[in-house]
Amino acid sequence: MASETKLSHTAAMILQAIDTGCVYGFSIMEMTGLPSGTVYPAMRRLERDELISSRWERQSIADAEQRPARKYYKLTAAGRVTLEASRKRYPLLARMIPSPEARSV
Amino acid sequence: MRPALRSALGGMNQSVLRCAALLVPRDQRADWRREWSAELWHMRRSSPPSERFGWNAERAAVAFCLGAFQDALCVRGIRRQERELAPSRHGSAGECLFWLAGLLALSYILALVLPGVYVESHPSHYQINPGMILLQRDLFTDSSAATITGQQFLDLKASPQRGIDGLAFYLMTKETVSPGVQVTPKWKVAHASLNLFALLGERVIFSGARESHGNLRALVISDELWSREFGGSPKIVGRVVRVGRSVARVAGVLPRGSWRLPGGADAWLLQPDSEISPSAVGYVVAHTTRYGQAEMYGDRLHINAFVADDPDADLWGVSFEERTRGPWTIFRFAVFLAFLALPAITSVSLGESCFSSHRPSFIKNLSRWIFLSTKIALLLSITYFASLDFSYWNATGYSALSEYAQLASSFFICLFGMRWILLDQRERCPVCLRRVTHPAQVGQASRTFLAWNGTELMCASGHTLLHVPGLPTSWFGTQRWMYLDTSWKFLFAGTGVG
Repeated sequence: MASETKLSHTAAMILQAIDTGCVYGFSIMEMTGLPSGTVYPAMRRLERDELISSRWERQSIADAEQRPARKYYKLTAAGRVTLEASRKRYPLLARMIPSPEARSV
Repeated sequence: MRPALRSALGGMNQSVLRCAALLVPRDQRADWRREWSAELWHMRRSSPPSERFGWNAERAAVAFCLGAFQDALCVRGIRRQERELAPSRHGSAGECLFWLAGLLALSYILALVLPGVYVESHPSHYQINPGMILLQRDLFTDSSAATITGQQFLDLKASPQRGIDGLAFYLMTKETVSPGVQVTPKWKVAHASLNLFALLGERVIFSGARESHGNLRALVISDELWSREFGGSPKIVGRVVRVGRSVARVAGVLPRGSWRLPGGADAWLLQPDSEISPSAVGYVVAHTTRYGQAEMYGDRLHINAFVADDPDADLWGVSFEERTRGPWTIFRFAVFLAFLALPAITSVSLGESCFSSHRPSFIKNLSRWIFLSTKIALLLSITYFASLDFSYWNATGYSALSEYAQLASSFFICLFGMRWILLDQRERCPVCLRRVTHPAQVGQASRTFLAWNGTELMCASGHTLLHVPGLPTSWFGTQRWMYLDTSWKFLFAGTGVG
């Protein structure tokens, strides 16, 4: 069951980063401090296990802003449940990657 | 940094990403490259304008690009892992049906290739006019033996019978044939009445005139002889050959397997009844009237004829039905016997009971029954063709031995095939129809009445466990399925995340 999935610390950090609004690969790298060779494979595994989902931005939007289209990542329902469990397991997670609200405080 | 150098470094980064993309599986390659390129662009843009084209930014870009190789290798690893975890075809329902279909195709192709089997499986080849009987002297005489003398035939022909309205005689001899044939082994020649072909039914191919002209007799040769001695040439019709002391003209070829008359003639030499030797012993075929058919006892008809040389002898007519009924009747009977005998060698239960209240969906149940029905249909087809291949591969005409061989082979193939089908079905997961594997002995035989002992098998896809009791008891008589819920999933899943 998804609620019983035990995440590594790296995967939990990525989930936490996505949950805090870092929805692109590079922004997740920036937020977690993990290198590209770690972040992307981990995200692919998370996607495979249906904890996150991805979709490409519409090309028209990217064209309007004169930049390449980006791939968005977001948590699935199972991903949210797993992240909650991971926060209990790694209590420092929320402090390492705080949510925007917590940052503003 | 100079623009030219900046451009060169940018091109080098793209080349690195392109190289890394080559390591990614083809179907994901374009997607990965697009994402890397987009993220690289955004990474550059995220730097402050003052540092955007500095060495530090370039170092970060190079690090990102080299990280793409790790991504690519990781993606390959994930793909390999998925391939290993993907259920293989081994033990699947598809594999089972594939092999059965392969066996069926093989036996069917053999049935087409083997000439004896081909003729046997097409009863239209050896059909004769209805109501034909073969006369013999005693009730239980072997019908393949010649028992009627020429004199008896002539006497019968002279005294009209109520049950018979047509008679023909033929006598088997071995004759040398020349010329036209390089090697002249003796042929089995049937010296037959002129009306024999009309009585049995016209089946001659390349037919020419069959009237006798003076001493020139009409000769009809069998398909086997035509192929063997004349290379299947249609120019054979009209050729004059000497058969023993007679001169004959080839009038036609009889198709393979025709009629199935006893004697196994290579050629039929048609001659008037006046030339029949009274002492020669041959065969008599007759056509029965409606009265005769009504008087038949089973497939036998008693002929009330006076036989001059043996007044006590009885004449009996034996129907050709047995010789021309085809293999289908024997096959059906063998299958019927096999299904009757099946409970004697295996339980016909499919082990439907289960521990939990969970039941597979209607669709799953239906597909299970469809799979079983398909297996049985394939087995019956294999039984039919394989028994024909085995029994008639070398048959050139009617053979009671071949029929017994077909009966026996059909029975055993069907019986043990059905046993295998039931055993196989009992060991297939009701959810995915794969065979359960990894048998484990559970419990001890000495504690049979305290706790269950037997074998536990599991579905490799994690749907079910199968418990087969080692010693059937009143409380655990047949095998049981245990359906696994999602809490068991971790046992069958691959490596975890991260």
